[in-house]
Amino acid sequence: MDLNPPPEENYANPRTCLFHVLFKAASLAFYILSALFINNFVIIFVVTVLLAALDFWVVKNVSGRILVGLRWWNEINDLGESVWRYESLDQESLARMNKKDAWLFWWTLYLTAVLWVLLGIFSLIRFQADYCLIVGVCLTLSVANIIGFTKCRKDAKKQLQQFASQAIASRVSSTLQSAFTVV
Amino acid sequence: MSHSDTIPLHSSSQSDIDEIENLINASVQSGPATVQPARPPSPPRIPVSSSPFLQSNLPPPSTAAAKLPPLPSSSAPPSVLPATVPAPAAQPPHGNSAGSNNYAASGFGPAPNTLTEPVWDTVKRDLSRIVSNLKLVVFPNPFREDPGKALRDWDLWGPFFFIVFLGLVLSWSASVKKSEVFAVAFALLAAGAVILTLNVLLLGGHIIFFQSLSLLGYCLFPLDVGALICMLKDNVILKIVVVCVTLAWSSWAAYPFMSSAVNPRRKALALYPVFLMYVSVGFLIIAID
Repeated sequence: MDLNPPPEENYANPRTCLFHVLFKAASLAFYILSALFINNFVIIFVVTVLLAALDFWVVKNVSGRILVGLRWWNEINDLGESVWRYESLDQESLARMNKKDAWLFWWTLYLTAVLWVLLGIFSLIRFQADYCLIVGVCLTLSVANIIGFTKCRKDAKKQLQQFASQAIASRVSSTLQSAFTVV
Repeated sequence: MSHSDTIPLHSSSQSDIDEIENLINASVQSGPATVQPARPPSPPRIPVSSSPFLQSNLPPPSTAAAKLPPLPSSSAPPSVLPATVPAPAAQPPHGNSAGSNNYAASGFGPAPNTLTEPVWDTVKRDLSRIVSNLKLVVFPNPFREDPGKALRDWDLWGPFFFIVFLGLVLSWSASVKKSEVFAVAFALLAAGAVILTLNVLLLGGHIIFFQSLSLLGYCLFPLDVGALICMLKDNVILKIVVVCVTLAWSSWAAYPFMSSAVNPRRKALALYPVFLMYVSVGFLIIAID
């Protein structure tokens, strides 16, 4: 992953990108700045965790689909088993996805988790267990999205490979067949 | 949306957006059959196939098709995901998108212009789902089917709100150490739900992790009500009575689900910790003044 956004195009979905970043930034900013102004832990907790939860939803349901064409969720099937479903757009649409959007998506996803880890380390150093609780919840939400989307992307690549190898195999066999019939 | 942007869109993205908008407008099917929300995601405990990755131009697998009406294929451009994907959870109160009713059927989900859609639609839909889950779990329902199957459409928003609400009420009731009270209540309930679920799983029970978390969260509702009443009226006798009643109600609500999940001989082992947790919350409510 490179550090700079791909230069050749603009954001294709600026509003989605904005919302993708908005709640993450708001939650981090509120957590960091509130310690300066607000003396009430409960308010800090509730607002930060609420913003983090909203961010989780936005990333999972909106920006994941629009920016990178991936989606994951969990279902309970009729047998009562839990099934994780991954889905993505087909190959040509994936190729057409705006690179800058995708860059922003993945970078902010990872960056947020890293920042929460740092904040967690700070509060551990200061022995503030209740702030560690906030950080713990927000980190769980960020990591959840990261894991979900990474698995989804791997699944997409795997499916693509399977599809490609199937296509090649069928081409080869049909070529062989036609070769033998000619002979 | 795309027309009012001053930033020139990438040409392929513009066409994608147009396709999506056309699709939304063309689609008339409504409402998801099952709405998935979920917060959760830690890596699945039950190793499950990451199932069929639905290609948009392949026919959907039958299991998924059983759940939702398929999108009319004629209007589905290749860039659109098939509508047989259950609508992703509508969740959050802040409804950025995912508001419209034909959202499940529109394959790719909320179009970009639903970002500006009124928040109330989404809020109402989410609240109605939380309410229906709540009714299913907490209130007496003679027509309730097999309790083990309830809360198939688990969501963690209800539990989140209930736990935070309980923490807030306890914190407000407390005259000193408000922050600690909140933190302790939240941590106790969250960790308690996780541990109780693990308990059931370790006893050899068949329960889905998140379904159980969701259930235990919803069963907190009576205790929430009790805590609110105790906050408003500060009489010790009243508190004891209210707490006993709501405690019994919570335990009664949790009983069928937990007991159906384990071997009958181990029912008590699974239920006792649940009861213990609710009792400790009850004590917390009574003791705080």
